[in-house]
Amino acid sequence: MDDGKLIRVENLRGGYGDDLVLDDVSLSVKVGEIMVIVGRSGCGKSTLMRYLIGLARPWSGRVVFSGQDLWADPSVLDRARKRWGVLFQSGALLASFNLMENVSLPLVELTRMSQEEMELVARRKLEVVGLAHAAEDYPLSVSGGMQKRAALARAMALDPEVLFFDEPSSGLDPITSHSLDLLIKRINRELGTTMVIVTHELPSVFAISDRVVMLDGEAKGVIAEGTAAQLRDLSTDPRVKSFFNPEKSEQEEQ
Amino acid sequence: MERGGVPVRLESQGSKVVFGKSLSSDNEKRLRAFFDSAFEVLSKRREVVFDFSSCRSMETAPTAMVYNVSRRLENIGVDVEWRNLPEEGRALLASFERQTAVPKRISRAWSVRGIVEDIGESGRTALEVAKGLWKFSGRTTLATLSALLRPATVRWKMVRFYMEQGGVGAVPIIAVLCWLLGTVLGYMIGYQLKSFAAEAFMPDLISYAMVWEISPLIAAVLVAGRSGSAFAAEIGTMKVRQEVDALEVMGINVFGFLVTPKMLALMCVMPFLTLLADMAGLLGGLLIGGWYLDMPASIFIRRVNFVLLPIDFWWGMLKSIVYAVIIANVGCYMGMKVRGGAMEVGRATTSAVVTGIFMVILADALIAIAFMHVRPPLTI
Repeated sequence: MDDGKLIRVENLRGGYGDDLVLDDVSLSVKVGEIMVIVGRSGCGKSTLMRYLIGLARPWSGRVVFSGQDLWADPSVLDRARKRWGVLFQSGALLASFNLMENVSLPLVELTRMSQEEMELVARRKLEVVGLAHAAEDYPLSVSGGMQKRAALARAMALDPEVLFFDEPSSGLDPITSHSLDLLIKRINRELGTTMVIVTHELPSVFAISDRVVMLDGEAKGVIAEGTAAQLRDLSTDPRVKSFFNPEKSEQEEQ
Repeated sequence: MERGGVPVRLESQGSKVVFGKSLSSDNEKRLRAFFDSAFEVLSKRREVVFDFSSCRSMETAPTAMVYNVSRRLENIGVDVEWRNLPEEGRALLASFERQTAVPKRISRAWSVRGIVEDIGESGRTALEVAKGLWKFSGRTTLATLSALLRPATVRWKMVRFYMEQGGVGAVPIIAVLCWLLGTVLGYMIGYQLKSFAAEAFMPDLISYAMVWEISPLIAAVLVAGRSGSAFAAEIGTMKVRQEVDALEVMGINVFGFLVTPKMLALMCVMPFLTLLADMAGLLGGLLIGGWYLDMPASIFIRRVNFVLLPIDFWWGMLKSIVYAVIIANVGCYMGMKVRGGAMEVGRATTSAVVTGIFMVILADALIAIAFMHVRPPLTI
């Protein structure tokens, strides 16, 4: 690992079909930090996430995870995947499995633990996210917030070094969303898990981020980097200013 | 004409259209009827005034209708003036004018070139599907083989589930259908053979037709329709809900997890379904033989026993395993190809069935050629 950087993105280019979405993007994530990727809808944050978690191969450039290029050979990606957890926007729990089975899924598939051990781990993880009472419930019969938390428990099943979140608070009410933010922060503090979060919810950004990277759809890449407060108060870039102060920019427009 | 409730009326010998208090969806029907009958009169004028002076409220849909009428009039050379528009009407009119000012995307006109391009395009798509399917089959084969080498990694619970769904569930329909086909075929064959007094050979033809060809094929077609489509829908929906992505980033082998159990299940049940189809078809032949040709069951059975060799059954069961692999592969592949939403899932289900049946028949043709070389000569 080089100078505490767990993930490095180097000159990444990528997109969908023929559409270039990300052009020459470089950034890095330090061990133990909560890095938040923000930007307006359609700026390519979710696309960037797909590249970070190895769901798509960059057109050019590299994604380096703890010193190794993800796409250097298949075994790198396989090994890396066991060291991270991903929380999808929809939660992406398997609908035909109950919460406990969902959480133990990575254990069943990727470890040689016994049934009893797996159950212990799964119940512990559900407890961490406050769902011990709902272990036997099915994803579609619990609320959106509970689905997200169960998905978080599943992402944490193998004690990952990094957790990726794709819009964790989308579809949640402000209170549920806030408690999820607190949970993320707590896990980061207690377990030292590195977090990479894609979001456009300003309250979340201010509540949890150590560092913020802002993407822009026109620029097809990073236009600002720093703490949330720095970007809000010190940036001179109008795109950054209007994103962090939406009310003000609306007044100016009028 | 009654007053007050009337949404619109003609004045000044048809050169003025006066609108009532409101243009709302409630009186849209009457507005439409009015313009249907008045269009003739209005179109004979050089200028028409739409007077909205007593109009207080204008909804979007009826106003769009009026706007459309005025455009039609203008197209045939009648000047239309919208007078005394209320505020909201002016905003609507301005907006409609903006919308119509945008040039419409012209749909491609019919042309030989277009047709050639369409054919080329669909050919390319078919080729892409074939290529994708080929690659996909390679990966599922690998996953399934490696799963069989380490049986502990297979989700046997799911295998059992799919065996029940795709196998046991298909028993009644396959039995009934093949029995019916056996009956119909027996009748038709008997009818023709009777004309040259050769009906004693009906069992021969029924046996060959059912056991060689029809039973395995009907079983495969039904399984493609029941299970192939179910696989595509299941995986497609999981794809839409990002569940497949989630499995992948967890480092779980998606092929081993999703495809292998389905494939193994179909491979296990298909030979039995085929055997069942054989039996049902022959039973149909036996019954129609007794009823239509007065052939005793013992004679039918003895004849079938005489002409059919064990290889006929084995071969059918063997090729049904090939069909099982094809159906599972195509169904899962179509599911995996889903991008987007519910409509895509529907499309995937359809193409799982169509492509599945197509590939099964294609494989059947090739296997039939091999069979004719392998099978010992007929016994008469």
